[in-house]
Amino acid sequence: MARAKVLLVDDEVEFASTLSERLNIRGYDTSAVYSADAVLNKVRSDIPDVVILDLKMPGASGLDILKAIKQFNPSIEVILLTGHGSEQCTAECESGGAFDYMMKPVEIDSLTEKIEMALGKKQK
Amino acid sequence: MLKAGIRGGMLDRLRRKVASWSTMPALTGPAEGPRSKDRYTSLKTRIFLLIGSLVCIPIVIITVISYVWLQSALKEDFNNQLRGNIESTRQSIDFFIEERISALRFLASSNSFGQLSDDKYLNDIFIKFKREFGELVDLGLIDSNGVQFTYSGPYDLKGKIYSNQDWFNAVAVRGVYVSDVFMGYRKIPHFAIAVKKELPEKGTFCILRATIDMATLNRSLSTFNLKSKDDAFIINGDGILQTQSRFHGNVLERVNIDVPHAKDAVSLHELRQNDGTPFIFGFTTIRNSPWIMGVTVTSNAQSKLLGLLTSDITAIYLALVLMVLGTVANMRITATVVNWIREAELEREEAIVQTHHTGRLASIGRLAAGVAHEINNPLAIINEKAGLMKDLMLMSDEPPDKEKFLGLIKAISDSVNRCRTITHRLLGFARRMDVQHEEIDLNDTIREVIEFLDKEVLYRNIKLDTRLKEDLPRIVSDKGQLQQVFLNIINNAIDAVPDGGVIAVSTEVKGRDMVRVTIMDNGQGIPKDTIKNIFEPFYTTKGKGKGTGLGLSISYGIIKRLGGDISVESEVGEGSTFYVELPIRTVGQ
Repeated sequence: MARAKVLLVDDEVEFASTLSERLNIRGYDTSAVYSADAVLNKVRSDIPDVVILDLKMPGASGLDILKAIKQFNPSIEVILLTGHGSEQCTAECESGGAFDYMMKPVEIDSLTEKIEMALGKKQK
Repeated sequence: MLKAGIRGGMLDRLRRKVASWSTMPALTGPAEGPRSKDRYTSLKTRIFLLIGSLVCIPIVIITVISYVWLQSALKEDFNNQLRGNIESTRQSIDFFIEERISALRFLASSNSFGQLSDDKYLNDIFIKFKREFGELVDLGLIDSNGVQFTYSGPYDLKGKIYSNQDWFNAVAVRGVYVSDVFMGYRKIPHFAIAVKKELPEKGTFCILRATIDMATLNRSLSTFNLKSKDDAFIINGDGILQTQSRFHGNVLERVNIDVPHAKDAVSLHELRQNDGTPFIFGFTTIRNSPWIMGVTVTSNAQSKLLGLLTSDITAIYLALVLMVLGTVANMRITATVVNWIREAELEREEAIVQTHHTGRLASIGRLAAGVAHEINNPLAIINEKAGLMKDLMLMSDEPPDKEKFLGLIKAISDSVNRCRTITHRLLGFARRMDVQHEEIDLNDTIREVIEFLDKEVLYRNIKLDTRLKEDLPRIVSDKGQLQQVFLNIINNAIDAVPDGGVIAVSTEVKGRDMVRVTIMDNGQGIPKDTIKNIFEPFYTTKGKGKGTGLGLSISYGIIKRLGGDISVESEVGEGSTFYVELPIRTVGQ
């Protein structure tokens, strides 16, 4: 069985690379990009099953990237990561078509649980 | 117990903190202290005087008008009364003289020259006349040559010639004559009445002359109701006293008053004595005589009015009681009004404190959101690095790769340092919330504020251009409050500009004693009809839940209290520019 492809998008290199390594340990085919500009190229070249996307990125809003990903391929599930949550954030995530959002720092088990749920939804 | 103690201590600190907000003079204005008490005492005095004036001024005006009116009425009444008395006395003297003249005329007309030229007959008439008019001194008949033809009286005047005397000529012409007073042989004042009797059968005339004691006229004058300092007398046309005067000279002396030209009607003149005492001089001519009746009255309407007022002790007591009651009522009203003002001011101060508290919480809320985001990133790195270390430890029984672990530990340390930088910056900001005036570097203050916002600026790709004048003089001001102001304005600018927008912050010296901070953005701008309201509390153009409408209002209040000024220029579609001007030395420093 092929491993699920997970793409991590965050400008915090240390965070994204470490989380990527941990998800790899947990059996996901994980890669990371560190700028908004690189996301769409990566998505196009290697379509992920799930994207874990930082909501605030220099030069671009996570919501804009979310919309672009969904436009390119609506079947890609996106889990947003944010430094602080709010009602407004929840509403924007929902309207943008995100699967869910999580607060930083995330518990790895909660994240993998969310990834599994996203994959489950995708398979349906 | 320990937890409860810790919680109690924290609560106490919180209470002290909140209490310190309410006593910050820069926020609340005048606090309840000695100066405030002085202010309320001064206010009480002013209100007391104001109410007193409002009540007293009309009363004083009415009293003065009433006094003037009453004085005028009393003066009129007094003068009328005086005129009446003078007129009445004059009439009685007129009547007296008229009666004597008539009696003498009757004697002259009812008796023939022959009868009158008979000494015995004349003596009989004299006796009858004297019986009727007791004041008669003598009676004589003078022929047309001025020779005393017959005489009846105490002196030997028969044969005396009067042809060269003025009175003889006067009576010869006018038919009747009343003389001035003269002392006569007995050295008592007399006057003479003479009437002309025509003798047509002889083609000549004779004169019947009677001498009358002046005491009679004195008696007539005594009917005048004189007070102790008043006087009544008779003078002739030359001002020579014909009767004894109490204060203005003796008989046949010149009266010591400049007598104006007398008329038939009673005249009243207000004059002053040599010692300055005012008196009224009333005078009138006495008919059929060369005399003027004069009256001097020192009492006047004013003394009469004073007399009226002082005579009514009850009214004085009543006025005093009313004054005391009015003063007490005024004091009570003043105290009540001042209490209302004090309570209203306290409520206002509480509202201001509450408004500032709300505004501060809003600022802190926004700050907290930014800080949370900034801290969560390094925390997430720590979390992942520690998690990875745990994963590696659990995955293998082999000892972990030392180099990899050291790398992970270094990343954790670096992230902890990031967190520390953020928390220290935050603490520095929060600590200055309570700091009062100090010497500060305005450029540093602005830089610290911008550091808080650099992530948001970065994420939204906003170009934040700072042109801070290097040799800007240090100013004495409140750093914490200035940071709050700049945070509000720059936050507004961030909200106003689109992603990729430009915000420029610059500092410069303005004039000799001011510095100016200019915060310019290329946002949507503020419409002209809105710009006048932007410093009003609770006015916001941001959407619901996005702005409290307090930021600029509080900023305005802070800058004004720091002795500065804040203004804005804006063009819709081009952006806004806020100018904050601050004194290099703040007010009162």
